[in-house]
Amino acid sequence: MDFLAEGFRRAWSLLVAGDSEVYGIALLTLKVAIVATLISCAIGLPLGYFLATRRFWGRRAALTVVNTALAFPTVVVGLLLYGLLSRRGPLGGLGWLYTWQAIVVGDVLLALPIAAALSAAAIQGVDARVRRTAQTLGAGAWRTAWTVSREARFALAAVITAAFGQVVAEVGAAMIVGGNIRGSTRTLTTAVALYTSQGDFGLALALGLILLIMALLVNIALQVLQGRGEPGVGGAGGAGGAHA
Amino acid sequence: MLELRGIRHRYGGRIVLDLEQFIVPQGASLAVVGHNGAGKSTLLRLLALLETPTEGQVLFSGAVVPPRARASLRRRVTLVEQRPVLFRGTVRENLEYGLKLRDTARTAMNGIIGDVVDRLGLAPLLNRRRHELSDGEVQRVAVARALAVRPDVLLLDEPVSSADRAAANALYQALAAERAARPLTVCIASHQLEEAYRWADSIRALADGRLSPVTPENLFRVDLPAGDGTKHVRVGGIDIAVMTDRTGPAVLAVPPTDIFVSLQPLSTSARNVFSGRVTGMSIEHRGAGVHVRADMGGVELVAAVTAEAARDLALAPGKTVVFSFKATAVQVF
Repeated sequence: MDFLAEGFRRAWSLLVAGDSEVYGIALLTLKVAIVATLISCAIGLPLGYFLATRRFWGRRAALTVVNTALAFPTVVVGLLLYGLLSRRGPLGGLGWLYTWQAIVVGDVLLALPIAAALSAAAIQGVDARVRRTAQTLGAGAWRTAWTVSREARFALAAVITAAFGQVVAEVGAAMIVGGNIRGSTRTLTTAVALYTSQGDFGLALALGLILLIMALLVNIALQVLQGRGEPGVGGAGGAGGAHA
Repeated sequence: MLELRGIRHRYGGRIVLDLEQFIVPQGASLAVVGHNGAGKSTLLRLLALLETPTEGQVLFSGAVVPPRARASLRRRVTLVEQRPVLFRGTVRENLEYGLKLRDTARTAMNGIIGDVVDRLGLAPLLNRRRHELSDGEVQRVAVARALAVRPDVLLLDEPVSSADRAAANALYQALAAERAARPLTVCIASHQLEEAYRWADSIRALADGRLSPVTPENLFRVDLPAGDGTKHVRVGGIDIAVMTDRTGPAVLAVPPTDIFVSLQPLSTSARNVFSGRVTGMSIEHRGAGVHVRADMGGVELVAAVTAEAARDLALAPGKTVVFSFKATAVQVF
């Protein structure tokens, strides 16, 4: 127990003292997480909407692939990406290996299936009458998508939260393609893994606490952005419909 | 104005709509009647260009609607579903939805909304949200929202199923006012003959996804005399006996399945016994039944019999038959 208490004391002193290395790692993690979440959601949410609303040949197969990708091991993604970005790989010319951009690419690959699969499920949960009503009132494709998404905004906010959670907690791919280089590509998770293995439990715990606080703040921000709650679609005749 | 041609629409391999031709003429006030599951809602969704028929074509103003033109034509054809949904936001925001899509100026928008709100009595509801409304109120708001965008064709699926009589009258009066003010084609799906007959110029009947030739023909507008019990009402060249306490204008409906067909007058309790010649016969959907049309003193009645009965009686056009049905079988609307 002394060992744990000592860890917490160390963590607290590092946080209060404003240790530049700790906060540098935290800022890099936040930057990587925000960029990767934005990119994965910018691609994944429209992809999820498309999969949920369009009927085309191979749709079920596409949904199966996306759902399977949810369980993709992070170290395998890191390994594949390493092969692509290494000097002799097809994307070696970019020079991204062991940069924060490489970590972002790895995180996007891991968060994209989450954004696509969960948003497809969220959109499928919206009553089909919402889409038809928007269309019959004259909405084009984009406006219809916006209207349907508004009805599913709580579920979609949860999708963004889940994508952020995946990105911010990811360690395998970040370690492989980022290299865990001090002052350059060391993120909170890779640093926690490193300092724990080195026996610096206090520092690892401090970084872990920052990670938790960061996740908490992001969740609060998303809840504020969701705004006021309103029950789901209510149809005449007691339909009730699917709740957004 | 709108036409379905050679339609065979399937859900999961099952044919839910099978129509050679269905026309909604420009300026018409058309009702589509039929039981639940007859295909009315599917028909309206096809007309509203919200679904693409599995087989067949949708025509607008005589031209086949190409896929690319569907979205733009939807701005001229608006559907109010049987159980309509309102979007997140207030009633006012819902009424503004279609107008904003059309870039309507704020002043014009306020005028249009004020107009439909007055017609449908929605003023007290304007700032409410959907969960604060009853089913009937949701229906009225949905109709108002559709009227606000001033479509050329308005499709209404059971528009007063959740409304009380006063609200239903208000809705139909609003429709009548709109039609008086501008050319508006209306197509209403309903399972209530009374409602259809009261508000539509013409009626089409759907049964099992097919146009049925029966129901409209056995409907008669009459003026019921005063008094209780059995009344005899003149329809064309025949007197129909009907049991009702109602008086004044009404619609009589004789279900084709309640008519007995025989070759000679039968000694039964039936108060309505008419003799005439078969004018036509049609095999019903799936071949299970036959619709027999006969001219009874200038009035065409349609009876439904089994294929076996038609064969046993050797029914054929020109043959003399007797139609019998009880006074209590006659429905009064």
